[in-house]
Amino acid sequence: MYTLLRVTNLSHSFGHHPVLSEVNFSLERGEVLGLLGSNGAGKTTCLRLISGLLTPTHGQIEIQGIDLVKHPLRAKRHLGYLPERPPLLPELRVDEYLRFCARLHRLPNRRMTIAIDDAKQRCGLEDSGKRLISALSKGFRQRLGIAQAILHQPRLLIFDEPTEGLDPVQMRALRSLIRELARDCGIILASHLLPEVQAVCDRVVILHQGRICFNDYLNDDKPIYGWRVQLGTGSTLLKLTALPCITGAVAIGEDRYRVLLEDGADSAQLAQQIMRAGLHLRELIPERTDLERAFFDLIGVEEGQ
Amino acid sequence: MISVFARREIYSGFVTPLPWIIFSTGQIVLAWIFLQVIERFSSLDAAARQMSLTQELTLNLFGFAAIITMLTAPILAMRMFSSEFRDGSFDLIAAAPVRFGSVVIGKLLGLMILILPLCLLPALNALLLIGTAELDLWQLAAATLGLFLATLLFAAIGLYASSLTAQPGAAVLIAFAMMLLLSIIGHAKTLTTNTLSLFEWLSWNEHLFWFLLGTVRMSDLAYFLLFTLFFLLLTQRRLVNRRL
Repeated sequence: MYTLLRVTNLSHSFGHHPVLSEVNFSLERGEVLGLLGSNGAGKTTCLRLISGLLTPTHGQIEIQGIDLVKHPLRAKRHLGYLPERPPLLPELRVDEYLRFCARLHRLPNRRMTIAIDDAKQRCGLEDSGKRLISALSKGFRQRLGIAQAILHQPRLLIFDEPTEGLDPVQMRALRSLIRELARDCGIILASHLLPEVQAVCDRVVILHQGRICFNDYLNDDKPIYGWRVQLGTGSTLLKLTALPCITGAVAIGEDRYRVLLEDGADSAQLAQQIMRAGLHLRELIPERTDLERAFFDLIGVEEGQ
Repeated sequence: MISVFARREIYSGFVTPLPWIIFSTGQIVLAWIFLQVIERFSSLDAAARQMSLTQELTLNLFGFAAIITMLTAPILAMRMFSSEFRDGSFDLIAAAPVRFGSVVIGKLLGLMILILPLCLLPALNALLLIGTAELDLWQLAAATLGLFLATLLFAAIGLYASSLTAQPGAAVLIAFAMMLLLSIIGHAKTLTTNTLSLFEWLSWNEHLFWFLLGTVRMSDLAYFLLFTLFFLLLTQRRLVNRRL
């Protein structure tokens, strides 16, 4: 593995309004990086900076060691970008559009047909070559957007909300396509769908108010599911852990606990045992996955909001 | 890379009905003016004729064709940047390894090829009289060159206006405003001393007039080419500044 993308002290402002501040991360070949953040966190701006659509106010972006600001043409040759809205030309047919994209990326004529057929096959567009883009459904448009991004076999792929408009079957197909593409290149994927990111990404960067607040690898271990419990006043951790269906518990606030259940035990059993033990059950809610919890904890949104 | 953009614009232009509507409407209007010129000219006695038939044709037919191309260029140019900004399809070009200079020249070339039939229509109408009337072909060629250069300037202004906004309608209005200013600025000379002809020089119609008379002057050539270059550079700068 080697560094495909290096982002150093990246900052960007629109006028006097800072959108990104001191963003640092890198991406290796074969890695899928998920970019998460609430609306307005700076995800799209970050992706637009990395794809050369915006010039950073401060900082440096290197793609395969090439400075994107100083040598944009050389750096962009290694880049495939799918924006939030697929950049399609509605008056063209699918094949004509892909041919135009191939020419934009300077693919030689002898490679063009093979590259177009390959991209269409990977995105399930084999039978759509003659169709007018304006007549395509949203899902097909999204697939065509992905096809134009992978057409020239770039080393770095940037997908901004790639699952937008796709049905569950297509989403699953895209997930396997991303894993397949990641064998040869690095992928940055921005999404609002936390399970989607968790399923497909090796690493996650969470942006909040233009700053990175989480940047770590996702564990391969399955996420631990548990329960959050709020009891009546006077409850203790000792009384709670004495219940037979509980394997472990931690206090997370006054009369609030996070508990893990034994295999086979469910929330109904837990509720019954709490009542029998004379502990007043006020709240019992399922614990979220690690990533989801990390996301909400980091952006400071209270549970239940 | 220039040809990639030019071909794309030509293809995209001709698959929409807009150029066809413009050409057919333009031809109907030009044919009407052509017939009027012929009728008026043939109704006069030889002694009463102040200008030759060629001159009548160039001043009326070509002069009006310039107005048509002035109205047409911004309408065809509006989709070249404005619509692409609005639809988000410009991201495709901005993320590709291409220079904005190539994009601008390619689009201008495509736009000029789209309008070219309109520039040739007056000459084609006039050439119908070959064999039946005496025509000065060199004067027709000079007038066609003048019309082409004026259209080139209008196209460059249209492209610049198109690069200014993501609203195609606003782009057309901006282009019309700029061209209107360049059309009437010549009248500002009456506000100044008679010897100061800067305003007159800035006006495109003053320069086209000499071409229509059959005189190809370096200063007129320089005017059209320099102003075209000026607006193309502004367009290129505008695209670069969009990244900030």
